[in-house]
Amino acid sequence: MHSRHLPLLLSALIGATAFAGAPGKVPLAVEYPKPLFAGTPRPISLANLEPAGAKRPDILVSAESKLLSRGKKVTSSDSLPVIGELSFITDGDKTGIDGAYVELGPNTQWVQVDLGASAKIDAVAVWHFHSQARVYHDVVVQISDDPEFKKGVKTIFNNDDDNSSKLGKGGDKSYVETNHGRVLPADGASGRYVRLYSNGNTSDELNHYCEIEVFGVAK
Amino acid sequence: MPHALLRCLPLALLAAAALWLRTHELARRPMHADEANQGVKTGELVEAGRYAFDPRDHHGPTLYYLGAAVATLRGQATLAALDETTLRLVPALAGALAVPLLVLLARRREPGGPGLSEPAALAAGAFLALAPPAVYYSRYFIQETLLATGALAVAVALRCWWRSGRTRWAVAAGTGLGLMQATKASTPLFVAAAAIAVLLTRAAARPASPRPGRDLLAGVGAAAVTAALLYSSFGTHWAGLRDALSVYLHALLRFGAEAPPTGHEKPWGYYLQLLGWSRAGGLLWHQAALSALALAGLAVAARRRDPLLRGCAVYGLLILAAFSAFPYKTPWHAVHFAAPAALLAGLALDALACRRAGPVLAAAAALLVGLSLWQQTRLVAFLRPADGRNPWAYVHSSSDVLKFRPLAEAARAARPGEPIRVISEEYWPLPWYLRGLPDVGYWTEAPPDCEGALVIASLAQAEAVRARLRRPARESFVGLRPGFLCVVFHPEP
Repeated sequence: MHSRHLPLLLSALIGATAFAGAPGKVPLAVEYPKPLFAGTPRPISLANLEPAGAKRPDILVSAESKLLSRGKKVTSSDSLPVIGELSFITDGDKTGIDGAYVELGPNTQWVQVDLGASAKIDAVAVWHFHSQARVYHDVVVQISDDPEFKKGVKTIFNNDDDNSSKLGKGGDKSYVETNHGRVLPADGASGRYVRLYSNGNTSDELNHYCEIEVFGVAK
Repeated sequence: MPHALLRCLPLALLAAAALWLRTHELARRPMHADEANQGVKTGELVEAGRYAFDPRDHHGPTLYYLGAAVATLRGQATLAALDETTLRLVPALAGALAVPLLVLLARRREPGGPGLSEPAALAAGAFLALAPPAVYYSRYFIQETLLATGALAVAVALRCWWRSGRTRWAVAAGTGLGLMQATKASTPLFVAAAAIAVLLTRAAARPASPRPGRDLLAGVGAAAVTAALLYSSFGTHWAGLRDALSVYLHALLRFGAEAPPTGHEKPWGYYLQLLGWSRAGGLLWHQAALSALALAGLAVAARRRDPLLRGCAVYGLLILAAFSAFPYKTPWHAVHFAAPAALLAGLALDALACRRAGPVLAAAAALLVGLSLWQQTRLVAFLRPADGRNPWAYVHSSSDVLKFRPLAEAARAARPGEPIRVISEEYWPLPWYLRGLPDVGYWTEAPPDCEGALVIASLAQAEAVRARLRRPARESFVGLRPGFLCVVFHPEP
């Protein structure tokens, strides 16, 4: 066998094994917007970063999983954003262009999507801002049935490595925003509300969201 | 209250407001790379008492000497002790001084004489006090505001000399000109524009001085002595005089037709857009109200036979044309259009006030323009002073840079014997933020030994640094400016 076929064969084997180990699971289909980076891109090849534009590994979800968040109500710690509206977060427009994102104030801020009813959540996808290479600080994503997030809280992502947002220290890696945003597995966590925190970014002290998508199965 | 004091009260209040706008929360905005670089240079002057003019990468000495003077007054004797407020007080005080200078330049001294009525001159001063570029760059440790205020001071002194004929005013104007030249080598551009403006508008007139040639010589002498004192570091670095001339050769090599692009080339209409409006990231930035009134003032200046106001209009247009024609453009040059625009806007109000029901209309127009300027200045200088969308925050450091110092201090405390390494092709303003810390080194490429208490690397250098680290390290990201990220390596305990 020619050696150039080896990686292909290995990939197929790994893929087949993954599917064999997860009966009834299918790769989550997420629609990605066009990249918005302008100018000469800087080389990004870090161990804990995916290169700009590269596709992350598929997240396997149940076959019945669907988008639950479109058009759902969003609340926030900053109830009156200066730029954009909270409804932009679940309106399906993730292009990231001017007029397609909401800008929240400085320091730790959160947005919360109310799914309307408790659901079994497979994944949460978030696009903060992807027209410039930037990293959002202290990104924490939680799921709960309690709108106040005081009980029954499951944290599915936390990259606040110094606990500066006082939500507990997290071990997840930071990442540079791209048009692929970040799709986070929720492993079937149960909850009606999804809350996302952030604490500014490497370009300014503000917090932005283009879109949040919550995938799962309604109960 | 005596009548004279009462007459000065509006100008005093205006100057106080201008000073507050220029000094309130001066340290809040992170340091721009240029401010940081000049801050470190000022720190060296404060600490070692030495300064040598560098014709390649720096402007003239005035800013540094004034910074050192303010530092002495505030009891800051080392680079480590210097702070943002000390440095920015220099342009802030100069920017505040520009407001009464403009009013003094513009106001009519005798009935029927050249200039604006008292209310119109005060309105012009208020517009300058509130103008976004004037406020923003008065809070910014670079040369531009000093230069603009110097030009106004020279103009006021020249007007006094023209009217009184006293040689001391010619010497004062010359001293101001010398300070301008010692601030920035672009001063001849302003002198040429002013000379053309005077020739075009006052060709037939004669100054009151019986011996204008002698006064001119006295002025030129004062300018030469002042500039020479500063460029020679007060007689301690005579090579500075040679370098003060060679700066034009360096400029030719840097900006000449054969020179490579600097990265700051912009279309000719760049400044017109700054004077008008632009939209970025959902925010509207504008000066359109002031510019519209200034355009009306320009039309009035063309019709009114007032050599002072016509001269100021010609000067403003020439400066705008010259900066627009030059491909190298940065927003701080727009400071030089603020005073002429404010004066022309005042002229429009002056003309409007002469009409029936004019005073009310003029007051309303002044109020509207003033409110529009305040709304923009609040946004530009106080709400979003380092925002990447702010057209005046040019290639500005992001607020994240404020995190470097605490990170470095914590790292030094945890590993006292180890260095702090900054490995990045661009690293300003970090030398400012890490000032006073021992064992801080800077590399543009990863050195063979990358170990340290804290290693700050640009994205481009991060992979090479990671490969050379022998100990495991936790990584985090801190921004230097929008789009330029640093990876911070914290060695694991």
